[in-house]
Amino acid sequence: MMERVRKTHRLSRSFMTAALALLFAVLLGVPLSGGAAYAAQSASASQESKTDRWLHVRVDCTDGKGEKVRINVPVEMAEKVLGAVNHDRLQGGRIRIHAAEVHGVDLRAILDAVRTSKDGEFVTVQSREDNVRVAKRGGFLLINVDKKEAGRDHVEIRVPMKVVDALVSAGKDELDIVAALRVLSREGDTELVSVKDDRNTVHVWLDAKSGSTD
Amino acid sequence: MLLLSKIALGFGCTVLVAGGYVMRDGVMHISVDEYRPGGDHVHLHLPASLLPMIAHFVPQRDCARALREARDVLPAAKVAVLELHKYPDAEFADIWDGDEHAQIRTRGGKLQIDVESPRENVHLSLPVAALRDFLDELESRAPDN
Repeated sequence: MMERVRKTHRLSRSFMTAALALLFAVLLGVPLSGGAAYAAQSASASQESKTDRWLHVRVDCTDGKGEKVRINVPVEMAEKVLGAVNHDRLQGGRIRIHAAEVHGVDLRAILDAVRTSKDGEFVTVQSREDNVRVAKRGGFLLINVDKKEAGRDHVEIRVPMKVVDALVSAGKDELDIVAALRVLSREGDTELVSVKDDRNTVHVWLDAKSGSTD
Repeated sequence: MLLLSKIALGFGCTVLVAGGYVMRDGVMHISVDEYRPGGDHVHLHLPASLLPMIAHFVPQRDCARALREARDVLPAAKVAVLELHKYPDAEFADIWDGDEHAQIRTRGGKLQIDVESPRENVHLSLPVAALRDFLDELESRAPDN
């Protein structure tokens, strides 16, 4: 009888030990497997993000409170998010420009004309307030604005023509933003917009780095 | 004695398994400090898997109204959150305005939003996976019309 009690006691102790071991294994296993899964996901994500193109916006204001803005957006993410927006004029990554007019200017017609013409300078306006130059050179659409008065703004916009092509590839009254971003993501490191005046600088550029460096 | 041990073991296992399940998505951290007399200081560390449950308990009437307004934005928000998975450690926005500083970034698979100013500090850290579940829950509660 005593032997049976001892045997039962030994068995229950073995059972308890095994259960506790299992419990510890589960406890240790949950974070480990989660960590491994996260590490694998992180590694694949970082591998993937190495090939990603990032759109950077940097704004520096030296007046007032000295505002600084740094925005970094993966182009692929912008493409997908914009494609999912269906609000007002932006539908599925395309923006409707009613009657193809923007302040009385037929934007699409201008872009179309620039796209199909040869390299050269298209517009040069020299006035008392500013100088404006629109040109096409080396596969880029170049827009330069130099203000002569207050602030001496200097605006430089440099857009690859392939991006312009993609932009006007949609229907008659639409600009295809997502298609433009898709083409932009295949471009090399590119400075897109640069605005400078005596108090503010704005830069928009594209590269493979995830952060903007000061 | 043996019976009590078994009950304790069963109870312990249940608590641990339930704890493991609740903590599977990690922890979300909400911290608000208001620097004024009588200002609030809120510091919450909650299991992130509770987030969809919180959405579930928002009164349907309030939820429906908010979702009707957010209907156009919700699919884009879901896509953005899905995309965030690809960038577990990235800086998306960094803004200084005088003595105010705001940052939006991902760190270790968590979305972090930090706002610091002399008046208040707000820090929010949320696992991206939980955010996706939260948006799924919101979408499932969205009215058809």
